[in-house]
Amino acid sequence: MEPVILLIVGYVVIGGLLACVAAHLLPVGGAPAAMGTATGIATGTVQIMLGAAMTGLFTAASVDTYTDSLLLVTLSGAVGATVMICVVMFMANIIYGFGAGVVPVSGRVDVDPITKEPQAPYKTPQCDGHGVPIVVFVSGSLGGFIGGFGGALMYYTLLNYAHFSAGTAAIGAISIFVANAILAAYNIRGTIEGFHDPKFKRLPYALVASFAVSLLCGIVVSLTAVLGGTL
Amino acid sequence: MTVTPAVIEEEAPTKKGLSFKFPPEETEMGIIAGIIGAVIVIFTGLPAVIKGVGLILVLLWGMDSVRKTSKYGLGTGVPSIGVLSTGYGVVGALMGLAVAEYGRVGQLYPAVLLGVIVMGVIGLVSGVISNSEKFIAMKIPRLERGMMELGMAGTLAILLECSIVTGSLNFNAVVNQVMNTGIIALMFIFNCFAMLHPYNACLGPDERRERTRMCAVEISGLICILLGFAQLALGTSPYGPLDAVSMIVFGAIVFAVFFWKFIKACMDEAYETVGTGMIKTIE
Repeated sequence: MEPVILLIVGYVVIGGLLACVAAHLLPVGGAPAAMGTATGIATGTVQIMLGAAMTGLFTAASVDTYTDSLLLVTLSGAVGATVMICVVMFMANIIYGFGAGVVPVSGRVDVDPITKEPQAPYKTPQCDGHGVPIVVFVSGSLGGFIGGFGGALMYYTLLNYAHFSAGTAAIGAISIFVANAILAAYNIRGTIEGFHDPKFKRLPYALVASFAVSLLCGIVVSLTAVLGGTL
Repeated sequence: MTVTPAVIEEEAPTKKGLSFKFPPEETEMGIIAGIIGAVIVIFTGLPAVIKGVGLILVLLWGMDSVRKTSKYGLGTGVPSIGVLSTGYGVVGALMGLAVAEYGRVGQLYPAVLLGVIVMGVIGLVSGVISNSEKFIAMKIPRLERGMMELGMAGTLAILLECSIVTGSLNFNAVVNQVMNTGIIALMFIFNCFAMLHPYNACLGPDERRERTRMCAVEISGLICILLGFAQLALGTSPYGPLDAVSMIVFGAIVFAVFFWKFIKACMDEAYETVGTGMIKTIE
């Protein structure tokens, strides 16, 4: 067995695990957030993660045409995803604040762990928070960074170690990323606010599942590279 | 407001006129679509319209699996299941295309089915892990089977679409004509739509399987039109441009017929629910 196969499998597994962690850090609001009755962005885990990671892939792919450095490509992917998720969270706050007339407030903690501002008095009764408060914003940016890093890592691996064409590498990276994000979404079940949410403690279960699926996907991808004659 | 008996009497004939009951059961549908889809994938020399029929069957199977999996309320949204299916499908299709050259006889590529089987195994593993008490503990009945079918249907659909566009299943041809031209992005998102949109749009207490399936066939018709245009632009068909044009006409007819049937069914059944007073509850 060639060492480069181990490298491909290893990097795909790392990328998958990072995708799983990132999905747990994002502010997922789901349907309740669409009515302004829960904290976060008003759509499911996979849609938020896919949007961020795809933007990350665009920046990573553009940077990849100029350099061969792994760190530079992955970090540019991470920055692209972070910018995307930050813009989405900021615009969500503007719409909630000036359109729906609710204050950004966390529903899971009484005091913001970062700014120590009280949260409970500003929350509408019977609601699960509104908008994107500071702790959630920080957590979401972190999630975008980690997710973009994982997606770009997989893209770089498939492009430069498995020697796929750029289009194949991009669609392969997105597909493996999506599979991992779904397992994380199964684990989250609905809404999550970030690292301060009690549901974040369930992360190890999702990591085990994500490890198994990424390992199998990594083996499939390296078999594709060997048998397809690109390696 | 009370329900008049006249409304109930009217119910039976309107439903009968608009049902679409080709294979009546989910298991039969899976077996039929799986076998026909696999046979059409292997014979790459067939005209595009026959591959289009296979594509419609496979996408119906995928839609059925999405419906079966998300019926219990996953808390992740129906769309994510359709996206998962297509994601698995792309990985499986890459694997199938890589091994396609082995054991090839003329225009027959039996080895591509290895990708379908591998994706079935990965789907089964992820289903078992998601349902297991020790890990994610979803506790959804038959989730394992649903995830396995999602992987297999997604792979068959992507392979069939590649076969329609390139006219063969050669790895380099698919990479040049599907991946590098960017058609794969269209395939990815439209496959997702065909699988996730019908159940996502129709779900609710009054959801009926036949009506949801009409919506799936209608979107498959749209995919056939798109693939026909892609085939026409690339000029890859062994039968010349007539093949692509027949594909576009076939897609347009399927879309028109099933769009009309779906809208008619929706209007009839929306009329039926008027005056029932209470929303039905799921047991």
